[in-house]
Amino acid sequence: MTTAIYGIGNILMGDDGAGPAVIRHLSAHYTLGDGAVLEDLGTPSLDLPSYLIGYDKVVFIDAVAADAPPGTIRVYSRDEITAVAPGIRISPHEPSINDALIILDFAGNAPRDVVLVGIVPETLDGGIALSQAVADAVPRAAEVVMRELQFLM
Amino acid sequence: MTKITIDPITRIEGHLRIDVEVDGGKVQKAWASSTMWRGIERILLGRDPREAWLFTQRFCGVCTTVHALASVRAVEDALNLPIPKNAQYIRNLILIAHALHDHIVHFYQLSALDWVDVTQVLKADPKKASSIAESLSDWPNNSAKEMAAVKTRVKGLVDSGQLGPFAHGYWGHPAMKLPPEVNLIAVAHYLQALEYQRYANQVVAMLGGKTPHIQNVAVGGVSNAINIESEAALNVDRLYAMKSLFDKVVGFVQNVYVPDVCAVAGFYPDWFGYGSGVTNYLSVPDLPLDEKSTEFELPGGFIPHGDLSKLRPITGQKDEAWRKAVTEDSEHAWYKSGGALHPWKGETEPNFTDWQADGKYSWVKAPRYEGEPAQVGPLANVLVGYASGNPLMKKWTDAALAKISAIAGVTATPAMLHSTLGRHGARAVRTAVLSELATKHWQLLTDNVLKGDTAIFNPPTFPKGEIEGVGFHEAPRGTLSHWVVVDDGVIKNYQAVVPTTWNASPRDSKNTLGPYEASLLGTPIADAQHPLEVLRTIHSFDPCMACAVHMFDPAGNNVARVKVL
Repeated sequence: MTTAIYGIGNILMGDDGAGPAVIRHLSAHYTLGDGAVLEDLGTPSLDLPSYLIGYDKVVFIDAVAADAPPGTIRVYSRDEITAVAPGIRISPHEPSINDALIILDFAGNAPRDVVLVGIVPETLDGGIALSQAVADAVPRAAEVVMRELQFLM
Repeated sequence: MTKITIDPITRIEGHLRIDVEVDGGKVQKAWASSTMWRGIERILLGRDPREAWLFTQRFCGVCTTVHALASVRAVEDALNLPIPKNAQYIRNLILIAHALHDHIVHFYQLSALDWVDVTQVLKADPKKASSIAESLSDWPNNSAKEMAAVKTRVKGLVDSGQLGPFAHGYWGHPAMKLPPEVNLIAVAHYLQALEYQRYANQVVAMLGGKTPHIQNVAVGGVSNAINIESEAALNVDRLYAMKSLFDKVVGFVQNVYVPDVCAVAGFYPDWFGYGSGVTNYLSVPDLPLDEKSTEFELPGGFIPHGDLSKLRPITGQKDEAWRKAVTEDSEHAWYKSGGALHPWKGETEPNFTDWQADGKYSWVKAPRYEGEPAQVGPLANVLVGYASGNPLMKKWTDAALAKISAIAGVTATPAMLHSTLGRHGARAVRTAVLSELATKHWQLLTDNVLKGDTAIFNPPTFPKGEIEGVGFHEAPRGTLSHWVVVDDGVIKNYQAVVPTTWNASPRDSKNTLGPYEASLLGTPIADAQHPLEVLRTIHSFDPCMACAVHMFDPAGNNVARVKVL
């Protein structure tokens, strides 16, 4: 079983850096099993499929646009992610997690088990600090990631 | 008169927006704008210049390495610090591998679907598709069996009622012209591209420590320990592992990507007549060969008004004409400064108004070269190389034009490259040139290492007082430059003039249009609700705009909106 845990988001844009922050937290506070990859992928967009090929199980941590207070953690299933149809693309930045999975489903080499741990941001303005609400959510999101990993194993 | 707005809507502000006015079936006016304020250069003020690259490679998630390298080059330029040959070669190999990866992804995963109608695949004869593909190159993965398997895969997708990754395409659009078999070949290669671009990315990871966000560069060189006998260092085994990855990618580029682009171009000859726009071209020299970065593998220069005989060469980062030529104008951009400023004096103070057709309408500033707009990207790179007489650029350009001529039944000339299809053709030419240079620079590094040279780093020291530097790089999307002012060893100003800023430039103080805007004028629009023709031309530039943020929207609002008034 090959497992990858990927933080998605830009550390220069406020709470968009939530995913990478959870990766840093996991790396500092948890020991993961052999073969599990832990990586801050930044904002890979169209490059994302490259990082998914070859893995059976993937946990994403990303900022999500949900109607809930900043710092709220929401977990999304694979079906919920791929239910979002791809839109017209203008630049290679628009494809998101859903596009990457849909592309690989067509190619026949997508990871089977996927879950997205989402954190609702407060601010996405330029800056390398997280808001207090999102900073507080980071250790809780890490716990959610570890719990989801157990379900996936 | 019809006004079309293509604007990817997200809950957050972002992305590239295109507005066009259509009259008589053709685009009469155009505006390109970015709806998100970047301003992330301000994060660098007051920091140690040696760590700037760690931040700049986060500017963009797709082009991380290019911003890392432009940044260390800018600081090295300010210090007049040479770097060891091994460091140049290792950086060059990373840049080449990244570009190979990026260009393949751009064509197959982003823009091929502007020309390829996936639903037509169901009408294709796999045997006939195989024989067409085999007439274009001797690539081994073009068998009738392979084509039949891909057709079955597409049929499964269509039968499911969802078009999966192709759901956003304009299927059955009157501007789609490829025969069913060519559509099938393209989808087969779309799938193979997913595999082959990864090999190039693995080279970047091998040299950079990881991707994305390489770990191995430093102001003064690289941190790759070289020891041909050590397991932990760059040794002979690793060099040969890298070579075998490169060989696979080289095969794909020369036998699949280049022939595919020529075939698509051959079926759409009209598109050599659209999308020209700004024909001033800017490209900087890259792939330095010496420690002081004065000799380069590929030449740079500025071509005014599409006249290749008037090429003004750029000799390097120290070229005085280059250092003075670049300005950014904010007359129509949401910044306070207004007129044109040199990047070392550049300001990033926001001044937001609404979108105003005759006023301010973009967060992108208008870069100018000696006061003129300039198109950047592979087309500029290839035309400057061609005009300079670079043998590889000439060889691959002439080969591509000959292949297109044979398919289209017309005589394709270099003059036709000033167009939408010219940009795709030039990108394929540049990729082929870089595929040859991958092998060459791998050999340069290997020979130098085997000779016993293990130097990788010259330590920087910062003087008291103010120094200025510029680092440039001919990135996949074109000329990138980072401009830094360092005072007493601390960053005082930092401006990144990125390729998409040149191409997506708004109007300037003289109301001169930027390259995207100018390229859309005169483009025919068959169906205003489905402005495929606008996307074809914009995609041909390979825009890289919403660099800053990623946020998943489970409600599915991250789709482009087309609004017709």
